[in-house]
Amino acid sequence: MSKWIPLWLHKLSSPPTFYRFAGALRPWLLALALLTGAIALYGGLVLAPADYQQGDAYRIIFIHVPSAWMSLFIYGVMGFAAFVALVWRIKLAEVVAMESAPIGAAFTFITLVTGSLWGKPMWGTWWTWDARLTSELVLLFLYLGVIGLYHAFEDRRQGARAAAFLALIGIINVPIVHFSVNWWNTLHQGSTIRLLGPSTIAPGMLWPLLTMMLATKFYYLASLFGRVRTDLLDLESGKDWVRTIATGSTLQ
Amino acid sequence: MNGGSLQHFFAMGGYAGYLWPAYAVFFVVLFVDFLAPLLRRRRLLRELRARLARKAARQSRQAPTPTEPA
Amino acid sequence: MSRPGLANACAAMLRRDLTLAWRRRGDIAMPVLYALIVTMLFPFALGPEDTLLQRIAGGVVLVTILLAMLLALDAMFSSDIEDGSLEQLVLAPQPLALMLAVKILAHWLTTALPLIVISPLLAGMLHLPTAVMPVLVLALLLSTPMLSLLGAILVALTAGTRRSGMLLALMLLPLCVPVVIFAAGAVAASQQGLPWLAPIAWLGAALVLLLVLAPLACAAALRIALDA
Repeated sequence: MSKWIPLWLHKLSSPPTFYRFAGALRPWLLALALLTGAIALYGGLVLAPADYQQGDAYRIIFIHVPSAWMSLFIYGVMGFAAFVALVWRIKLAEVVAMESAPIGAAFTFITLVTGSLWGKPMWGTWWTWDARLTSELVLLFLYLGVIGLYHAFEDRRQGARAAAFLALIGIINVPIVHFSVNWWNTLHQGSTIRLLGPSTIAPGMLWPLLTMMLATKFYYLASLFGRVRTDLLDLESGKDWVRTIATGSTLQ
Repeated sequence: MNGGSLQHFFAMGGYAGYLWPAYAVFFVVLFVDFLAPLLRRRRLLRELRARLARKAARQSRQAPTPTEPA
Repeated sequence: MSRPGLANACAAMLRRDLTLAWRRRGDIAMPVLYALIVTMLFPFALGPEDTLLQRIAGGVVLVTILLAMLLALDAMFSSDIEDGSLEQLVLAPQPLALMLAVKILAHWLTTALPLIVISPLLAGMLHLPTAVMPVLVLALLLSTPMLSLLGAILVALTAGTRRSGMLLALMLLPLCVPVVIFAAGAVAASQQGLPWLAPIAWLGAALVLLLVLAPLACAAALRIALDA
């Protein structure tokens, strides 16, 4: 392994060590996610004033916008892990990339559904072919493609590496789709609704939004650690450390 | 908080039909996402335990003298 | 490897693939028939109104050809995987990316070219104005190689799997959104009397980029999918 990778990081990437590390951290991350999420919901649903234009419907942004951020953030994490997995062939990176995909797909799905539930009362339509919405939909298909390709292989590690390659292609694709749909909208004028005009957000609305963003980050880590632990058990089911966990019921 | 204001809160200025489904989708999807690996983990460990038990049984059958009386 | 050796290898590969395709002429006709039938269904579904058909003609022809190509994509490497000649190719001294580029070219010649040849007929069935036809054919000439190149990467990625038909569609469709947008945009612009050179130029630029990068990506994908 290259010298510039610190020793502790190298150690952490060994499956049993990461299994214990993730298991120790996960309850705390989940607690933090629930705590910050509850604060954000109280701030967003109760304390924040109603918007003078959108009334109470705007309160959907407290879950919609953090989900949209997460859908892109998780794709970024997945792409980075995929790159590491392909270049250095680290098993943990493969697992992180593949287990990020379902969480990212979940957040993308939430973004699309809450977005259309917000759009219907505000703009009178469930869906419009705007660059942002279309890119989000394409993102969902990319996530599903990665998940599908991963499961199409019988050999899990080979599937992970093929799907990691697809994830990297997808990273290039998303900005291109965004650009081309923008261009397409200039061609077909009048078919679009301007979704978000320049607006300033009141501080009473901003802090719940940022808190929810934090909560979703914590949630992502907690969920990812749970998924990675399960996957490591599956991948290493022949190894001694997994056998110890399976037989010793007191162990986490 | 009295009943009237609670009702007012749930009405969400007439947007309840959009707002609460959105929040419901958010929580249900994330709950399922969180539960799925836990269930899979339980199944994996159960299968692994069963496999180990089968292996142990086979080994004890192959042993020349049974160590414990039936 | 000397220069003539490489050229010979490319020519041999192209000749082999074209011969194989010619021996199964029925397979070449399939996408063409499929495109004809799909295009025929549109007037029945939407009614024979000239103005409506004219307006959708360009887009329908493009999407139909895209789907017809998707139908044939699965077969790009399948016979070579079955008889093991693809693994031979990976081990051959010639650069894999170049050999794959030749294979992609052969596949494009046998599936996309017949579709482009009948595209004026398809567009004519939907009453696309004759003046727009050259733009349509030009857009197809630039966009179908891109679909072949993008598709080749994905087919290579699924080389190690058994079921891949639907999966291939799921993976390819997000990638070809920009291609469809610009190709259909050029046709629509020319139909509305607007300048159509800009989208054609974008398509050309993207094609040049893909011509260089896609064979390399395809080779990398194949190495990943075949390494056991």
